[in-house]
Amino acid sequence: MKPHRLEEIGSQVKALEAMPAVPAIILPLTAMLQLPPDQVDVERVVELVSYDGTIAAHCLRMANSPLFGRRNTETVRSAVLALGLKRIEAILLGCCLNRIVPPDKWAFDPVMFWRHSLGCALVSRKMATLIGYPDPEKAYLASLLHDLGMLVNTLAYTEDYRKCIQAARDEHQALDQSEEVHLGFTHCQSGKMLAEHWHFSGDVIDVIEFHHHVVSPVGAPLVALVHLSDLLCRLRDLGYGYYEAMGVDLAGDAAWATLVEHHPALANMDLARLTMDIDGSMEEIVAVVDAVFKP
Amino acid sequence: MATGTAKSMTKSEDLRDPAYLKIRDVIYQISGIYQPEEKLYLLASRCARRMSAVNAKSPAEYLEYLTDRGNREAELRLLFNEITIGETYMFRSPPQLEALRSVILPQILRAKSAMGFKRLHIWSAGCSTGEEPYTLAMFLLEESEKLLTGWTFDILATDLNDRSLAAAKAGIYGEYALRSTTELLRRKYFRPYDDKQLQATDQLKSLVRFDRVNLSDDSKMTFLKGMDLIFCCNVLIYFDLGSKRKVMQHFFSNLLPGGYLFLGHAESLYQVDDRFHLVHFPGTIGYWKPPVGYSGGGKP
Repeated sequence: MKPHRLEEIGSQVKALEAMPAVPAIILPLTAMLQLPPDQVDVERVVELVSYDGTIAAHCLRMANSPLFGRRNTETVRSAVLALGLKRIEAILLGCCLNRIVPPDKWAFDPVMFWRHSLGCALVSRKMATLIGYPDPEKAYLASLLHDLGMLVNTLAYTEDYRKCIQAARDEHQALDQSEEVHLGFTHCQSGKMLAEHWHFSGDVIDVIEFHHHVVSPVGAPLVALVHLSDLLCRLRDLGYGYYEAMGVDLAGDAAWATLVEHHPALANMDLARLTMDIDGSMEEIVAVVDAVFKP
Repeated sequence: MATGTAKSMTKSEDLRDPAYLKIRDVIYQISGIYQPEEKLYLLASRCARRMSAVNAKSPAEYLEYLTDRGNREAELRLLFNEITIGETYMFRSPPQLEALRSVILPQILRAKSAMGFKRLHIWSAGCSTGEEPYTLAMFLLEESEKLLTGWTFDILATDLNDRSLAAAKAGIYGEYALRSTTELLRRKYFRPYDDKQLQATDQLKSLVRFDRVNLSDDSKMTFLKGMDLIFCCNVLIYFDLGSKRKVMQHFFSNLLPGGYLFLGHAESLYQVDDRFHLVHFPGTIGYWKPPVGYSGGGKP
């Protein structure tokens, strides 16, 4: 495998837009994500959800999941209201993104990918609430999208990415390290390019770019939060689908220190309990993702 | 245990009773054993047995037995017994053994080799009937030609209960204790005892030294130094906070810098001890005694 140059990845990312599989609603959707909550048009969201029968079914499935604390939701409108606008947008985005990748282009198991993304989103939101981070739904969305670059990599470099993931699996290595070696760039870099191209907000782009290396001064708490959630999920069987040989002292991680600086409540958080809560939610995360994303 | 059975034992509408969450919190506060909300059905099925024993009509009434009544300590103990029952069998935590193989032992071997040491010291504190120390012995023997080439090890297994220790020394186990032990390991490290049980071979037994130790006995605890790994599964749950803290102080000084303490999978040291670092491995957690000079960095 030859390492790829960043300019080349940029042109690949631009080419993605021309793909017929890119759902038409993704652009209005990402535009909507930039709006303050009071300016988001509820009826337009219900319309977008109803536009696609599969997506509507997914929203209902999620709205009825105990993970979101709701039951007996029967209409798209009540699902939208029950889940909350931000979360509906995040679900829509997840469903849309999944469709970008044709079945033969997946270098990894999409179900595993969405289990990790949804697990991470739920953990981020829970941690955000526990430590008093002001926008838990932003944390949810940023986490859901943090590995966007994996979709770019699998679309644009399918065969190389298959080998890269196999190497990571064989070496029990972190994916970004294997990408660095085998592709010459990471999903953080390619994800950032697509996120910029789609005009995602700056803090979400920061999360996508820096979630493996917390050095971003902008939006530092959000990046740190997603970094820790990502690690926690990878350590609790919600990772990339293979064994990563690692031991992590989360409270000794640079991201922990960054987050404690902004949110001192983190220093007293019961990490063992949070970990067991993640384990407890596992069954439902798997059930929801399987229901939404399994072919 | 089969979760399906436990689920069916407790009606789902009963689980919505907020008293179960309160019972969960009382148990966590006192014992350090935690049940996530999604697993409350397991807790409810354990409570159901105690509720019928004391004739409590509802979870709320049973909560009173655990909080207000004169015999609360005895009842808590009986409930803890119910909660941890069936947790003792060999190879009960594959993620823990995998973390030992892939991350922890390579790390410890590297550090000890650099100082010229070639021997590992492992302690199973509260070994009950011996399943844990024999699991560790089999695991280390299997690694002796691979990871542990050129290394020796000793396993100390202690308990307070003489009957448990006698059973552990005899090393006779039935299907329940061996249910996760592969056929290959059974053939290698056990011999038939009767038509339903196997007995540990002399080779396996010779690797474990059993002793009676009370974890609250300062004079004995002070002398157990130089450990690389301590396993103490579902033992501290019976101690009050002050005693737990004292035991943890001992464990901390019993361990070598860079050593690890492992507790039961649902146990937590939250607000018991803050000198150990909680370290996550895939599917399991351990408590790490950092070497002198460790200043964070996320990776032990």
